Amino acid sequence: MSALLNGSSHSVLEVAGLTSGYDAAPVVRDVSFSIDPGEILVILGKNGMGKSTLLKTIMGFVRASSGTVALDGADITNGPPHLIARRAVAYTPQEYAIFQDLTVAENLRLGVESDDLLEDRMGDVEAAFPRIVERLRQRAGTLSGGEQKMLLLSRGLIARPKIMLIDEISEGLQPTMVAKMAEVLKATKQKNGVAVLLVEQNLPFALSVADRYAILKIGEIVARGDAAHADTAATLEEHLRI
Amino acid sequence: MATLLLDIVTTSSMLFIIAAGLMIILGVMKLINFAHGAFLTVGGYSAHVVTNAGFNAWLTIPAAAVVGFLLGIVVERVILRPLYDRPLDAILATWGLGIVIAQIITFIFGRGVQFAESPISGTTDLLSVGYSSWRLVLVVVALALGAALTALLYYTRFGLNARAVIMNENLARGLGIDSVRVRAVTFGLGAALACAAGALITPLLSIDPNMGLPWLVNSFMLVLVSGVAIPGLALASLLLGGAQVLVSTFVSPIIGGITIVVLAAVILRIRPGGLSRG
Repeated sequence: MSALLNGSSHSVLEVAGLTSGYDAAPVVRDVSFSIDPGEILVILGKNGMGKSTLLKTIMGFVRASSGTVALDGADITNGPPHLIARRAVAYTPQEYAIFQDLTVAENLRLGVESDDLLEDRMGDVEAAFPRIVERLRQRAGTLSGGEQKMLLLSRGLIARPKIMLIDEISEGLQPTMVAKMAEVLKATKQKNGVAVLLVEQNLPFALSVADRYAILKIGEIVARGDAAHADTAATLEEHLRI
Repeated sequence: MATLLLDIVTTSSMLFIIAAGLMIILGVMKLINFAHGAFLTVGGYSAHVVTNAGFNAWLTIPAAAVVGFLLGIVVERVILRPLYDRPLDAILATWGLGIVIAQIITFIFGRGVQFAESPISGTTDLLSVGYSSWRLVLVVVALALGAALTALLYYTRFGLNARAVIMNENLARGLGIDSVRVRAVTFGLGAALACAAGALITPLLSIDPNMGLPWLVNSFMLVLVSGVAIPGLALASLLLGGAQVLVSTFVSPIIGGITIVVLAAVILRIRPGGLSRG
């Protein structure tokens, strides 16, 4: 809650009154929130509620018609995606998120600005997903679905970002893998103070990692609160069912 | 027989050198650069200017490459970049640019035929025949170029970024790759290759304002057949270049001139994806 009350002075990401969409129809409407370092905010919502569009707007892929996005206090609204990414923002999209025809190693190289950094940081990947380090020479498209998600998260970690924007990483994963993802995200946040904006439909996963939640319904945030609060799960269940 | 073999290898090498620039632009930018022939012509005239000014004939190739790179960077910035959202218009723009370049060259140098000095002249004895030394140099150049392009694409960061942009441009941008810069450098590189190729073939051909045109058509067909892949382009050059030499030798040089186009059309009818893709 502190981020909402204390204002923007410490937040990594601050989104204020953001409205965006395709052509005339806004998909995201007047959305505001902020995230502190080392904090995980999950945005919950069903399909088509504007979750992915929200992330794409923050990254500059979809134009914001009004509102602002600030990173560490600097306005990045409607900036070019590559420059936003270079401000230590790791974006993992939901679809077509890895380069299938490149090797695992090449996919990881693309997560860092220069190749020298890759070797230095390989330990991060090793600690989180040893299986990825064993498969560096393999073509990414030949990995299993779960391994591809591990690669995706590894690529985010290796960027040593200030904030990760993660679009439904749990989708299609078996429960043990989902638990592994949750463990890695929590460890990263604790160890490196990385902030995470998670967009999810998987309620148990979301609540197991998040500090705070917000519910996105038809492009608007209709509820928000503390993930650890006792009534949260029941309230969210209610929202996601409708 | 030895001459025929050497003709096939050297002609294929020439085709490979000439089509390489077109291929990398197509690969990264999804753009057929119809100004490719005009860039080739610019390379030829660059060679003419360099040797006419009394410089060493070996300088023609790097000089043409530099001219081509600068020309490519300017053309990308001024003409192509505003048209990235309209790919068909961008292709038309390159067509128009080709015409404009040919006219400018005519205006400066006239319609007449020009020549450039050759870095090497005469013949070399190979396989017990005396064969044009320059054509043999082109084989070495083609091999070096294939190796250099492979190294650039597969062993450098620029190559990795370029391949990432080819495969999924938005994903690449989301990872911090400046795809606009990758496109600009690629177009510069493609134009540099085209101009250098123009300089490389001038010892064998005369220079005139439309010298690049037949090469544009052949390169275009080669790249369609090969797909975007360096080994594919080498194979297509050997196949189609070889066929051209055989038809020119045994049937008629006139029919030989259209062999590549006809054969490419047949190959694409059988394998619409070309040689590289399935």
